[in-house]
Amino acid sequence: MWEYFTQRSDQILFASWQHFSLVGQSLLLATLIAVVIAVLSYRSSAMSAAANSVSAIGLTIPSFALVGLLIAPVGFGVIPAVIVVTFYAALPILRNALVGLSGIPDDVVESARGIGMSRMRTLLTVELPMAWPVILAGVRVSGQMVMGIATIAAYSLGPGLGAFIFSGLDRLGGANSLESVVIGVVGVIILAFILDLLLVAVGRLTIPRGIRV
Amino acid sequence: MSENHRTASTASEAPGTEHDSGTQGVSITLEGITKRYDSGKPPAVDGLNMEIPAGSIVMFCGPSGCGKTTTLKMINRLIEPSSGRVLIDGEDVTDLDADRLRRRLGYVIQAGGLFPHMTVAKNIGLVPRMLGWDASRIRARVDELLELVSLDPATYRDRFPRELSGGQQQRVGVARALAADPPVLLMDEPFGAVDPITRQRLQDELIAIHSELKKTIVCVTHDFDEAVKLGDWIVIFREGGILAQYDSPERILAQPANSFVEDFMGAGAGLKQLSLSRLDDVELTEPVRVRAGAPAAEAVETMRAAGEDYVVVVDDQDRPVDWLIASQLERLETLPTQVNEDLPVVYNRASLNDALDSMLVTTTSSAIVVGKRRQMLGLVTVDTIMDVISGLNGRAHDTAAEAPLGQNEPEEFEIPEDDGRTGRNTDEAIAAKQREDSTADTGDAGDDTAAGDPAGGAIADDTAGNTTGDTAAGEPDDRPAGAHRADGDRP
Amino acid sequence: MSTLTAGQRRDIRDLLVQAGLIVVAFGVLIWWLLTTDLTDVESSTLAPGAVWSLTLEHLLLTVVSAVIVLAVAIPLGILLTRPALRRAAGPVMAVANIGQAAPAVGIIVLFGFWLGFGLQAAIAALVVYALLPVLRNTMVGLTQVDRQLIEAGRGMGMSAAAVLFRVELPLAVPVMLSGIRTALVLLVGTATLATFVNGGGLGLLITTGVTLDLTRVLIAGAILVALLALVVDWTGRVVELAVRPKGLA
Repeated sequence: MWEYFTQRSDQILFASWQHFSLVGQSLLLATLIAVVIAVLSYRSSAMSAAANSVSAIGLTIPSFALVGLLIAPVGFGVIPAVIVVTFYAALPILRNALVGLSGIPDDVVESARGIGMSRMRTLLTVELPMAWPVILAGVRVSGQMVMGIATIAAYSLGPGLGAFIFSGLDRLGGANSLESVVIGVVGVIILAFILDLLLVAVGRLTIPRGIRV
Repeated sequence: MSENHRTASTASEAPGTEHDSGTQGVSITLEGITKRYDSGKPPAVDGLNMEIPAGSIVMFCGPSGCGKTTTLKMINRLIEPSSGRVLIDGEDVTDLDADRLRRRLGYVIQAGGLFPHMTVAKNIGLVPRMLGWDASRIRARVDELLELVSLDPATYRDRFPRELSGGQQQRVGVARALAADPPVLLMDEPFGAVDPITRQRLQDELIAIHSELKKTIVCVTHDFDEAVKLGDWIVIFREGGILAQYDSPERILAQPANSFVEDFMGAGAGLKQLSLSRLDDVELTEPVRVRAGAPAAEAVETMRAAGEDYVVVVDDQDRPVDWLIASQLERLETLPTQVNEDLPVVYNRASLNDALDSMLVTTTSSAIVVGKRRQMLGLVTVDTIMDVISGLNGRAHDTAAEAPLGQNEPEEFEIPEDDGRTGRNTDEAIAAKQREDSTADTGDAGDDTAAGDPAGGAIADDTAGNTTGDTAAGEPDDRPAGAHRADGDRP
Repeated sequence: MSTLTAGQRRDIRDLLVQAGLIVVAFGVLIWWLLTTDLTDVESSTLAPGAVWSLTLEHLLLTVVSAVIVLAVAIPLGILLTRPALRRAAGPVMAVANIGQAAPAVGIIVLFGFWLGFGLQAAIAALVVYALLPVLRNTMVGLTQVDRQLIEAGRGMGMSAAAVLFRVELPLAVPVMLSGIRTALVLLVGTATLATFVNGGGLGLLITTGVTLDLTRVLIAGAILVALLALVVDWTGRVVELAVRPKGLA
């Protein structure tokens, strides 16, 4: 096992980086999309109900099914991987962003408006910062979840550690097939752990001290 | 005073009005009860000896962390004592199966502690079901108890707790605790979670229920006013489960044993005495009563004939519906049947303080006093209360009843940091014991205490004085019998 | 007393919407399959009988692993919330969380290597994967029960077991059920991957579609799996609504 690792460490590190970068970038994109959708819908109860339903139903769809569905229109490679990972990452963030934004007491928003802040300014300087801890919690949940989903995306020849699992499966019984799968699994667990630590650090840096738990 | 009063009222009550079906209260004795959580730290309760007389309300009172709740929970063994014994009705329950023991002791906690997934009837019927009662007996019992706590069974039986107000939940909590007719009711801050008006009403109802059922009630509170209002006896604890004073409300108010008790009572102890006088003790004014739904013209005539300028409308069971002044009455055709919720109504067991409160809230100069099942007894006026206030001073000294025993007897035999604040301590207990043995020798006992321990001085003087009065008058010692381990241990 | 709260009415409306969505999507799928020209291979792969038996396999995988998960996770959750074992809860949850971060496909393949390809490997992997939500929600459900209520129960003479079965568990039911539903949905999705270790199920349609380049089989398989997951989720929600103890808001 160790031999396998040292011989292919370049390859493994590269795949790990690819995996991490796929998840990281998709997560960023997903956060952006989810927050925008939440901001657009949190003031209307019908829209937030709809957004919540999309989030709930989306999470029930098996990721492998979505990977399969996307292969037909967009083919193999990076694009289906990014779409799948971003899609799933956005769902928990969307749910949490809605919870966070609608959980802000009305009188806080009112007093911001009362001292002459514009709608936009209130959103950017009062509401989003106050909802941020909840949103970030959603990002952490998403991060853990899509680390695994990114592995499945490798079935459509996406980048990352999933390739080690599938190649081990393909060479079933052959030399180093088990090692390959183990590297894939353990690598993903380690990456998930690192990502979570990073997100905790992000929280430390970005959550105002007054509302830190 | 309230002990007197209660004895008097028991005697004077007509035999027909008693509900004799229930189990009456029994005595509880704590013998050297100690609770030690950490062997390094001082115990939460230290060697506490205490007698709780049968059928009385004893209030455990004190600041937070004083061990009052721990002591209460050691009675039903929700907290197991580290050492010591608990006797209920003379029976040692320390080694009984705790679950079986608890089914015999009613337990009420803040906000009722109702199970939200069970209906009111299910909640109340839990203990009877555990005791194997049959369904029809449980159903009858549930209805009976709902009546007792003034909730209409038909309306409330099938409701879930969240469909009840805080006060109603608390009532159901009391009903649940009474379900299997236990001789003892343990209450842990029962009225802590309701608003002041509801609290006053619940307190009044508890007093009414107590006078009807004669259970032994032990109730923990941090509110000294509540203790004064409800208690026949008050136990004031200080940190570490040390008994600061155990006596009647009157004597605690008049003669606090030490500066700790004084501080705890807070300011206005004089006015607190108003909480001691119950409406039962004062003379009520009889208003003009008219029947709900009757023609208003008749009422006007009756009122004029009586030379009054207002009437109280009552229903066919004499429960107050409304009160009307002449000008209101003249505008009506028939008298109202809808109960006016804003009436200043107080129970006859409520204190004068409560009555005064009700008058202030409704800005009236009198309040309607009701008794059992809300029947109107009469009116109390602000003048009556003023008379009582002026006559209050010095009343405490007339108190005749003797306080039950209570003392700490620390395991390690160190006198609990004796800074002149300890309540009844061992010496005092000896004094009490000697009084028991030879009633004639009270002066001696007083000397003994005063000499042995300055801390006990305040109480010792007090009790000695009182005891002299009692014994001289030849009153029987109404202190409940109870084994007292302290005697055997004494050198 | 049977009046519904606003929340219940909203739940029912959501359920109806979800049911409608499932029925419409299924109808569109059937209509599409009937109106497209399928090749011989495609139509034999998508023959109703074949698809039905794959669906049954899929459900078998899901149900068997779910039963095992419940039998393990609920008693474990109860044990870990008892005073005597509460200390062990932290470490157990930490291990379970790490297990959750592992990629599902990797776990299935590893179990395949270990136990040999086939149903057992798939079920073993599924059990490991779905254990956490049920375990976590059982523990959360039990620990969020108001301590005062437990004490009230003990105070009126209920034994520890009676309090557990008549107070704690009934009050934990809503949270536990939502964990069980999460686990079931997770199982339906993850069972798709059982095909990689010859464990059967609807995932076969997707892998066949990809391997043999049968786009329509691929799409049909993916949609069927998604619909199955939605049906299971819907059923779970209906059960949650139905058995939720009355009296809880």
